[in-house]
Amino acid sequence: MATLPSRRAGGHPFFAYAGITLAVAGLAAMVVSLFLPLTWLFPNPWSVEPLSYVGIAAVVVGLAVAVGGYAGAGGRCGKGNGLNGLDDWSRLTEQQFETYQHDLGRPMRRILGKCREVRGVLAATGEDVSIVVHELLDEIEEQAPSFRLMMANMQVMINLETPDAPTERYPVEPTAVVSRIVERYTGQAAEQGKDIAWWSEPAEFGLVYSDAAALEHIIANLVDNALRYGGDYIEITATRRPDEFTVCVTDNGPGIPDHYRAHLFTRGWTPEMGRSEEKTSSGLGLYISRTLAHRYGGDLSVASVVAPQPNHHTVFTLTLPIGSPGA
Amino acid sequence: MPPRSGNILIVDDEATSAIVRAVCRRLEDEGWSTQVVSKEEHGSADDMLWAAVAVIEDAAPDGVILDVRLGEYRDDQFKGLDLLKRIVAERPRLPVLMFTQYSQGVERDTVARSALQVDAPVEFIDKLASPEEVALRMRRLVGAEPETIAIGSRILMDNDARAVLVVNENGEMEPVADISGRRFDILRELTQAWYRSPGNVVPFGRLERYLEGDDTRASLRVRIREIKVSMGRALGQALGANDFIVSVRERGYRLLPPREQV
Repeated sequence: MATLPSRRAGGHPFFAYAGITLAVAGLAAMVVSLFLPLTWLFPNPWSVEPLSYVGIAAVVVGLAVAVGGYAGAGGRCGKGNGLNGLDDWSRLTEQQFETYQHDLGRPMRRILGKCREVRGVLAATGEDVSIVVHELLDEIEEQAPSFRLMMANMQVMINLETPDAPTERYPVEPTAVVSRIVERYTGQAAEQGKDIAWWSEPAEFGLVYSDAAALEHIIANLVDNALRYGGDYIEITATRRPDEFTVCVTDNGPGIPDHYRAHLFTRGWTPEMGRSEEKTSSGLGLYISRTLAHRYGGDLSVASVVAPQPNHHTVFTLTLPIGSPGA
Repeated sequence: MPPRSGNILIVDDEATSAIVRAVCRRLEDEGWSTQVVSKEEHGSADDMLWAAVAVIEDAAPDGVILDVRLGEYRDDQFKGLDLLKRIVAERPRLPVLMFTQYSQGVERDTVARSALQVDAPVEFIDKLASPEEVALRMRRLVGAEPETIAIGSRILMDNDARAVLVVNENGEMEPVADISGRRFDILRELTQAWYRSPGNVVPFGRLERYLEGDDTRASLRVRIREIKVSMGRALGQALGANDFIVSVRERGYRLLPPREQV
């Protein structure tokens, strides 16, 4: 899951505030002038509520300064060298999303909890219930990883929408990340009669400087796809080279035809779209994964041998720099 | 199944919820003992925090599962992190699995940056994770292999006794006579790798160190075949190329527990 970076503080909208203050002061002056005609201070020909002129001038100038100041802050945002408006929007979206995530997560936890409780009771008592009940429980359990990934994808998506969001690099053990992914999907794979294996070269892989959350998010998407569309065997391999490391996720499925492969990383594209069928996923996973890979100076590519050719398979290769402290 | 010696402390304001109960049950099925600090028992988040500190000092658990959020009040939202910081400061080697509804987020950044060393045994897992995933993560975090490891519901590796036990058709456990010496060492190596991380391939070289001779690779193949024949006989089923111990091309072998009969 990609780490949410701390964002730069935007420039303070001083001129906008100053302009609004001036305009308010002008309005006040206009009101005051109605009750306190300062004719002793401004003799003829200035005797007509002179303070109101000052007030009108203050309102006009104040509003001009306020609009100018606000537009200036927005203009910087548009040019990409500051993040005020967009950053605020992004932060707001993030906060709202976290609220929704919490509110959505609660019923999901209750449903899953009850589902697991029923499973536990059935396993303990050996009670013979209809196969439909087991299928229902399996279905609920199988949806949980998809829900988790969907939530994570949305959260990362919000982050990716923020231009110039800083990237975080710190010591990461890629094999620990791979191990976590396997732990996450092993149960689901077993339920589907599928199998996940992993290894690294060298076996003692060591540390790299990257973002564990981003790495985990990319690999999770790849493994989730492999389980969804691939064959019954998935292999994850991590390989270290002098300047970069790769993580390959291979499945022995029927392969991805060329005309589909060309669209795999397109935002929102799913295989069903090519067949004018209803989408079964958001089509964001691979787009997000490749965008994250690029953000961290790497790449995500795909190669496939399509059935009925022998040894048909699909392999996604994530390449990232080894990095260095402070890079 | 003989009990494992480890014990896990669970600190969670939803400790009595079905989802946490399912985690407890899974851990206990694996032989862990569990102790719970709950809101029902201790009331406020602060009381939970101090109760957890007392348990950690008195009972010295092998691992802690800790909720980031210890209550519904705003102040309680990240109260679990206060306890985490205290654990990291006072017991930096105590494995902690942070239970959170967020798989990422501000709290994760805060903790990662402020308190944790790169090798700190602290990981985050979201609450929707399956009990199996929680148990697997806890296994890896705690690190040390137990004296006995169950492989599925019918096989038990007893490392102390250097024996492999199989539940026979009568439901009784009996040792597999043919698996001893180097064969046991090889199977133990594969079992431990699987226990630490399912699906992990053990490189040929790591297994060949138990063998001697000019062609250790061929010798390893023979030993693996012997193990599979013995295990198949004990289990009453033929073990094929893709069963129990599986070769991964040019890399090594991995353990694949027999599929459970439903």
